[in-house]
Amino acid sequence: MTVIGAVDAQNLVDALGLGAIYGLMAVGIGLVFGVLRLVNFAYGQLIMAGAFTLAYASRAGWSTWQAILACFGVVIALSLVMEVTVFRPLRTRSPAVMLVATFAVSFLLQSIALLVVLKVQGQVGIPASTVAQLAQAVTIGGVDVRKVTIVALVVAIVALSGLALLLGKTTVGLQMRAAATDFTTARLLGVSANRVITLAVLLAGVIAAAVAVLLTASQSYVTSDFALHDMIIVLVGVVVGGIDRLWTATLGGFAIGFTRGVINGALPTDKSVYLPSALFALVILVLILRPAGLFAGGRSSVVDRV
Amino acid sequence: MRWTRSLSELAPPALLVVVVGVVGSGTSPARQIDFQTALVSVAIVVALYVFVGNSGVLSFGQISFAAVGGYAAGVMTVPVELKVGTLPALAPLLRDHTIGNLPSLLLAAAFGAVYAALVALPLMRLSGLAAGIATFAVLEITHNILHEWTKIGPGAGVLSLVPETTGMLQATLGALVVMAIAYGYQRTRFGRQLRATREDPAAAQAVGISVHRQRLIAFTLSGGLSGFAGALYVHQIGSLTADQLYLELTFLSLAMLVVGGATSLWGAVVGALAVSGLDSFLGQAESGVNIGFTLNLPTGTRLVAVGAVMALVLVLRPTGITGGREFSLTWLRQLRRKERTA
Amino acid sequence: MTALLELDELEVRYGAVAAVRDVSIGVKEGEIVGLIGPNGAGKSTTLHAIMGLVPTKGGSIRLRGSTLAGKPPESVARLGIALVPEGRRIFPQLTVDENLRLGLAGRRSRSGAEEDIDAVQELFPIVREFRRRQAGVLSGGQQQQLAIARALVAKPDLLLLDEPSLGLAPKIVDVVFEALAEIRRRGVTVLLVEQRAQRTVAFADRTYLMSNGEIRLTLTPDDAGDTDRMVAAYFAS
Ligand SMILES: Nc1ncnc2c1ncn2[C@@H]1O[C@H](COP(=O)(O)OP(=O)(O)OP(=O)(O)O)[C@@H](O)[C@H]1O
Ligand SMILES: [Mg+2]
Repeated sequence: MTVIGAVDAQNLVDALGLGAIYGLMAVGIGLVFGVLRLVNFAYGQLIMAGAFTLAYASRAGWSTWQAILACFGVVIALSLVMEVTVFRPLRTRSPAVMLVATFAVSFLLQSIALLVVLKVQGQVGIPASTVAQLAQAVTIGGVDVRKVTIVALVVAIVALSGLALLLGKTTVGLQMRAAATDFTTARLLGVSANRVITLAVLLAGVIAAAVAVLLTASQSYVTSDFALHDMIIVLVGVVVGGIDRLWTATLGGFAIGFTRGVINGALPTDKSVYLPSALFALVILVLILRPAGLFAGGRSSVVDRV
Repeated sequence: MRWTRSLSELAPPALLVVVVGVVGSGTSPARQIDFQTALVSVAIVVALYVFVGNSGVLSFGQISFAAVGGYAAGVMTVPVELKVGTLPALAPLLRDHTIGNLPSLLLAAAFGAVYAALVALPLMRLSGLAAGIATFAVLEITHNILHEWTKIGPGAGVLSLVPETTGMLQATLGALVVMAIAYGYQRTRFGRQLRATREDPAAAQAVGISVHRQRLIAFTLSGGLSGFAGALYVHQIGSLTADQLYLELTFLSLAMLVVGGATSLWGAVVGALAVSGLDSFLGQAESGVNIGFTLNLPTGTRLVAVGAVMALVLVLRPTGITGGREFSLTWLRQLRRKERTA
Repeated sequence: MTALLELDELEVRYGAVAAVRDVSIGVKEGEIVGLIGPNGAGKSTTLHAIMGLVPTKGGSIRLRGSTLAGKPPESVARLGIALVPEGRRIFPQLTVDENLRLGLAGRRSRSGAEEDIDAVQELFPIVREFRRRQAGVLSGGQQQQLAIARALVAKPDLLLLDEPSLGLAPKIVDVVFEALAEIRRRGVTVLLVEQRAQRTVAFADRTYLMSNGEIRLTLTPDDAGDTDRMVAAYFAS
């Protein structure tokens, strides 16, 4: 069986779903990076918090909609707390300090989750059944499509169009775009720093909550390192795509998710052991050839700032 | 003048490490492990500091050099007669030879340095986030290979039966050696040039400093020291898996560095010792410790507290505990004055 | 009549270096005040201190008698001061129109915004003509006009300009100064930082000469011919 032969329609559909989820995560990271020049590594733990909310809600017997609502509430609240307690005091610091600070936050949130789940549950994870029905498949034209794939694609399309409208057509969207290119000048013109940053963090939070629902539907056992590895892969995708612009970042996230999906489905596991090495070697190659990003126009100065 | 300055900057962190070593030697064997771990952490963090601290460029790759060093030292010191049983797939060259403790440390340093130099040649042209992600890719590749390739090691299994030669004495000496080399380097012309590129890359280039070459030198040296520290690590624990020298240690060592103050050797040492100290204190507290009253924390609090302290220090004092400066008496005086006014 | 803007013994430091020392300047309603001086004199720093971009070390900055100390740039902008920064700082990827509309963020009230945009477009026709173009493709002079237009749509009481003629061809410099004259006629108070000493002295109601962080001379339009005094003050340290 050749590798190419193994890539079928089924495989592509699954890969699209993963690409959509990773693309959404990339948007969340890119939005905050745009206005704060901050790579929020703890973004993955926002998603984890959402997943735990879903899990505990299903344990408490809440309905699916109640659980999803709670998930959005928790993730958005946590995003805003993070902005006020961590991002805001560090806003003027070097990107390296900010990145390491978000590592610490990420580590802290993971340890809290582990502590809680160990204490309450006596084990490292907890199942989330509320949204599990999303993982069921419907058959379309001979291809089994899990509902979550369809939902992921719809959510991604809706979220991206909504965001494009917001950024392109509204005053605050214009202000966010301006702030993302030159924050100081935007402030000189009267654009409120707190307002655009809070909005970016809020939007990223909403997206994180949506991603939490989607990821929990496809991997319904929630542990403290939930979304951690996805986050790392997305981060790689975002930088490889070009973190300076929202759309190149998003494309990078989607591309790496799609690639991962195709490869996961196509390769028998015993053949894919060195695949991570090959992929990361490719990442290095792309970065050397195009440091500002695969999809970015030229070399840009912003990337140099970290 | 130069000498007194060197002495006043290098002596305090060295003294601190010696004190930790001496105090540690007086404790129970079980306690000693915590002290040894702290000292090995000093070696790892100082090795990281040589590149990250001096260049100002974030690297997630340094632990992979520690991993390569750790594996090299570990695989080569397991007695030949034991290797056949525990590492059946090992390449004959590795299987049929064993080296002593000191050669294994040097071998690890050499491996780390060579690997780092190879990686640095293309990578040091990058800076910023691109450099960060590229070094991260190195970590991933290294982990992947060490985790899968059974010709050079245990693969996904455990490398065990490594002689536990990193006792209190070797841990202390090892940390001191790494610190002395790091300090020696930062006082050379190369070190000063690299620090200039950190402060103002454009100006440094304008006066003819090659950013690429200086970063390459520091990266290689840092790789060698990391390899050495990795060897100390495997000889302390006596066993090794690929996951031990991977993501968690990468983040933890970076956090230690930044918490201490990323731009000084003093900061690297203080950060490593402070975080390790807190970690092992809380580890004890989880099984009950007497500090006037009996403190008994639930399992898992340790990680939460360490995370919280790291986050707090970074938010409240982003330049780290030491402010990123070398130890000096004026610094101490300023600190005291601040405390008095606060 | 009290001054609109009052700097009193202002001091600004970058680390150990005092970039601005003991600077006292008053700008009255409707005036055009010039601020000239050699490179590194501290002119931009003075404007940045007014806008809240750099913290002050001593002295005070008052707008209509109330202090601006500690206010972030966006608040200062919304109190009615607009800065046209050195090097224009337009947003190259946004369209000319979007750049202009960003200026609205500094307005205290939205009413009359469209009329003001019209008026500004009349003052700088290229801003209307190239409405849909990316601002980055405009020429330097056009970008400068856009930057001034962007500041004006905020309907500021006080306009700060940092070397608006820097790097422009002589003809374009004329355009800029004509626009400034028109702005004055419309009743906007102006603090103009310039390197073109003679022209500024002749143009402004009053001009301060700054060197090494300190005010050295105060000049009136009558002094415009007195280059010797200016030169002496420029090079005295
Ligand atoms: N961000 C900064 N950090 C440190 N020093 C600065 C900074 N900005 C300006 N300076 C210094 O402060 C002094 C005053 O600079 P400023 O930019 O105010 O001068 P200027 O009068 O505007 O000069 P120019 O005509 O060249 O624009 C200079 O010595 C400059 O080097
Ligand atoms: Mg200036």
